[in-house]
Amino acid sequence: MARRYDSRTTIFSPEGRLYQIEYAMEAISHAGTVLGVLAKDGVVLAAEKRVTGKLLDLSSAKEGGGGYGGSGEKMFLINSNVIGGVAGITSDANSLVNYARSVAQRYLLQYNQDIPVEQLAQRLCDMKQGYTQYGGLRPFGVSILYAGYDPHYRFQLYHSDPSGNYSGWKATCIGANNGTAQSLLKQEYKDDMSIDDAIKLVLKVMSRTMDSTTLGSEKLEIAVLTYDEAAKKPKAKIYKPIEIDGLLLMHEMSKKIEEAMKA
Amino acid sequence: MSALEYNGGSVIAMVGKDCVAIASDLRLGTQALGISSNFQRVFPMTDRLYVGLPGLGTDVTTLYERFRYRVNMYTIKEEREINPETFAHMVSSTLYQHRFGPYFIEPVVAGLSKSPTGALKPFIAAMDLIGCINFAKDFVVAGTASSKLYGVAEGLWEPDLEPEDLFETISQTLLNAVDRDAFSGWGAVVHVITKDRVISRTLKARMD
Amino acid sequence: METSFALTGKGYVIVAADTTAARSIVKMKDDQDKIKELGSHLLMAYSGEPGPSNAYIIMPTQPTDPLLSFYSGDTIQFAEYVERNIRLYQIRHLYPLRPSAAASWIRRSLAVSLRSRNAFTVNLLIGGYDLADHKPTLYWIDYLGTVVEVPFAAHGYGSYFALSLLDRYHNPDATLEEGLATLKRCINEVSKRLVVSPDRYKVKVVDKDGVREVEL
Repeated sequence: MARRYDSRTTIFSPEGRLYQIEYAMEAISHAGTVLGVLAKDGVVLAAEKRVTGKLLDLSSAKEGGGGYGGSGEKMFLINSNVIGGVAGITSDANSLVNYARSVAQRYLLQYNQDIPVEQLAQRLCDMKQGYTQYGGLRPFGVSILYAGYDPHYRFQLYHSDPSGNYSGWKATCIGANNGTAQSLLKQEYKDDMSIDDAIKLVLKVMSRTMDSTTLGSEKLEIAVLTYDEAAKKPKAKIYKPIEIDGLLLMHEMSKKIEEAMKA
Repeated sequence: MSALEYNGGSVIAMVGKDCVAIASDLRLGTQALGISSNFQRVFPMTDRLYVGLPGLGTDVTTLYERFRYRVNMYTIKEEREINPETFAHMVSSTLYQHRFGPYFIEPVVAGLSKSPTGALKPFIAAMDLIGCINFAKDFVVAGTASSKLYGVAEGLWEPDLEPEDLFETISQTLLNAVDRDAFSGWGAVVHVITKDRVISRTLKARMD
Repeated sequence: METSFALTGKGYVIVAADTTAARSIVKMKDDQDKIKELGSHLLMAYSGEPGPSNAYIIMPTQPTDPLLSFYSGDTIQFAEYVERNIRLYQIRHLYPLRPSAAASWIRRSLAVSLRSRNAFTVNLLIGGYDLADHKPTLYWIDYLGTVVEVPFAAHGYGSYFALSLLDRYHNPDATLEEGLATLKRCINEVSKRLVVSPDRYKVKVVDKDGVREVEL
């Protein structure tokens, strides 16, 4: 029975459901985990990289322009005040990231200030929602976490899903094992966390949710958004592999340390 | 009265030894009436690249915003900073796109360009309002005081000036030229771009 | 003839505009409010001025008939267009545009209009108090879409008299009383020296508490 309502995104099933959107959400819950934690002086995003292997050519990972570190597989600088973390179909995500960057630049063109984070999330949701209503097309198979800063509400963390819904969070998780991660975050999150506490929490949760037992830069991406008091503007940083290993070492979660302890 | 001269203002750029300098006045007027003595017409595009936009005030703002948009999209997609040569051609083609209804701006580009070996080479260029590029090895001028700037620069500029000497040369050139121009002056700003930093200074000028 | 002034002081911006509505050589009205309150902390004085600033510049979009520049019908349409759009932003996003953002948006509207077939010939003074960084800000905008942030500004024939006075007497740290006294100097000078001087002005102030009208 349900089959008859599967093929079109725009048709409700008799139970009032939109199957294609539910399938899109399902696809995302199998994608690599992305989690975000809001601290009082910044926002942290972390993502699990799925496409790995020693034959993968990573030489295209460049120096990084604009001094933020360059985008990763799942982490993208959307605007100077927003970093996006994506989970789902990578090609869909690329297209959405491109759209988001254009939206942010158009806002800058019109108002000479960075786009407020919620407005950016709203604009992407307008786009996503459109694909659940206009016929003949499938929805975007992507959930996005937006870590951003604006003078209205300072640091913010938003989540948007394929249906075009969005919501603000103190800490949240998308992708595989998001249930486990959510409950862990619920237990461990404290309201007055600093950015360092947030990084620590993110690493802890990631180490529990990821399939592999040990964390390393080949499977992990980290990005941090803080405020540069001297320059009076937000500062986005997407960590390079070597910096991630350094971070893990600092928090004593490195594979190397564990190996050393075994030996 | 040409639209290029309606608001007044001038820009100059010079090449030094492993450095470049770009400077402009700060006046914005409506013909002979002065409106502001703090109108910026030189803008940073990257850490090592500046653009000066002398001409009609409204187009200074419009073009700056446009170039900022293009450079931001370039940087974020390419994941590297734009080269001065590339940027100059971007400016030129933008102006030529409006060949039959032009922006009344004669841009000046100044920056250090990175060669494949990693060495930095000074780059300056100027354009007319429809984007014809003038690549120069010494100095370029534009704006209502351009004729005066040519004269003074011709006399003061010499090759291979160190950053501090280049600063002195460009400052004296600009100040003395704009003092002879009724539509430029009212303060000045100078940027000297070297390989590790940009020295930006606001100059005290005659306010008459 | 149409004249508007604005000046900043310690934590405030004063915006003043004459109240005459003229058509050609005829005064139709002398109590028109030409200062729109665009938000709780944002003022905009608008004028569509005849005169040298738009009569001499040669641009394809300029009205060729010199009489056309005497029509200020478009000014009100433009002011209302701005007013509604700024209001719409606030309704959509719950917070208002900051003065700098509003000025940028308005400038862009004029710059786009300039290169259209029927450009608005509107000159503006935008005075606002930025609640994010607690600073009074003033923008001078002309019909070409030229924008510049200034400590004091004027439009119209009055500007030829007022700007030199403001150069001499303006003080960014002046109290409201001192600021209003400086404004009075400008108004008196214009009344004394301008052949076709307006006789009444409306004066509004914006500071941390919002916008309000003041009597001179």
